[in-house]
Amino acid sequence: MNAWLTQHIQALSLVLRRYKTNKVGTLLICLAIGVTLALPSILYAVLDSVSGLTNSLRSESQISVFLALDHNEDAVATIKTALENNVTIKSFKFVSKEDALSQLQAADANNDVLNSLEKNPLPDAFFVEPSKLDTESIENLKKQLSKMEGIDEVIVDGAWIKRLNYLLLLGKNAMFIIASLLAFALVAVIGNTIRMQILTQHAEIELSRLIGATKSFIRRPFLYAGALYGLIGGLFALLITIVVIYLFNQSLAPLVAEYQTNFSLNLPSLFTCAITCLSALVIGLVSAYFAVSKSLFKSIH
Amino acid sequence: MITFDQVTKRYPGSHEAISNVSFTIEQGEMVYVTGHSGAGKSTLLKLMAAIERPTSGTVLINNQNVSKIKEATLPYVRRKFGLVFQDHKLLYDRNCYHNVALPLAINGITGAEAGKRIRAALDKVGLLDKEKAMPITLSGGEQQRLAIARAVVSRPSILIADEPTGNLDRNYAADILQLFKAFQQVGVTVIIATHDALGNAQNENTGHQNKVLHLDHGKLVNFEATT
Repeated sequence: MNAWLTQHIQALSLVLRRYKTNKVGTLLICLAIGVTLALPSILYAVLDSVSGLTNSLRSESQISVFLALDHNEDAVATIKTALENNVTIKSFKFVSKEDALSQLQAADANNDVLNSLEKNPLPDAFFVEPSKLDTESIENLKKQLSKMEGIDEVIVDGAWIKRLNYLLLLGKNAMFIIASLLAFALVAVIGNTIRMQILTQHAEIELSRLIGATKSFIRRPFLYAGALYGLIGGLFALLITIVVIYLFNQSLAPLVAEYQTNFSLNLPSLFTCAITCLSALVIGLVSAYFAVSKSLFKSIH
Repeated sequence: MITFDQVTKRYPGSHEAISNVSFTIEQGEMVYVTGHSGAGKSTLLKLMAAIERPTSGTVLINNQNVSKIKEATLPYVRRKFGLVFQDHKLLYDRNCYHNVALPLAINGITGAEAGKRIRAALDKVGLLDKEKAMPITLSGGEQQRLAIARAVVSRPSILIADEPTGNLDRNYAADILQLFKAFQQVGVTVIIATHDALGNAQNENTGHQNKVLHLDHGKLVNFEATT
């Protein structure tokens, strides 16, 4: 256990020493990895924030059922029972025309217009929230409701949210494709760097083999180097992502203020940070492993 | 200790570098391997150090058959040897101290214990004051001594040197040979390949019993003790 630990500390310190002797090169490679990883990371932040926005809107997605102005009093009760018995309806709310008018008066300061009206122009209304949100169920429900007596108009809100959700899904798929393509690019970059290092350390590798170093002893520092490149690159990626999101939010603030919402891009969560760093580390390790097993022992024997 | 039994080594597409060689070297002996250039001295040393495997015959090192050792355990066999290479194989990207540190690192020895051993080895070859110097700044003789320090730092029981005095003038060469004798006197088996007669000449003066393995075109023509 102790010897095992010593070997690993030894390899790690050797890698850090090599990094130190080639500071600029190491920095540039880590930066390249960081920029490559920052791209999907920023894209993820955008998609995550927008889909968070639509999630908060989804609760407002509902069907508005307006009753005819000249309906009789029984119609309200009949419709109420029908809605209660319908299994595809999650919940519904009845707003009488009087309530609607007072709500409007409360919301709008321009009461003069409302007061000048001779009679209440607003209809009684039900606001229905369906249990299923897919297009077909909502269409069916809309048809059923339209056929009922005393109902003037059925309006489905939030159809655009669904379209937005499809677009978001498309965006997420695109992000995964871009991320996997960039991962391949990273494998190439890190793999090549490790191969170059193997070439520079050729004399040391050959000598070590001759005087009794095991293969894993020779391989270990290169694996550590690859993993560290990935990890540092991942940290750079997070830094770039956070700075970009911060700057973006800054310039977004005046626009958002115009729309009176408080939309902003979310900073990556701790979990997202950990996943980014971990996947970068794994990519580094894997590419180093490929590079090492391809070219390390070919030059000798 | 080291036993060769009808050992032949043939490199692909080449003649036999070593053919049908048999001998035994006991613990603590000092052996010179002589012969003209291309007689197979280097190949013989590589077979002894488990760097090459014989094409036929058996090489026994401490009663271990090198031909039958698994690839994965070969490194551990090699650690029993201290090797001084014909071309030094010093690492020019690090100072003397770290050059000598490499075999210890391979053996998993680091820190204060390693520091003590490295300085002891450098002291033995007279390079203690050059600890921080880069190998490129050393003279030929000093580089050779640094290579010897690296070979002995992990306290091997067998020291193998390929042409250790090849490029040195007579005085330096005598110094180096003296150094090897000092190791032999503390019980290390020392095997030196040399193409000149200097080794033999030195023996006559000291009166130590040394053996000479004389090779000619890969064949062992003479294996005798000189007094």
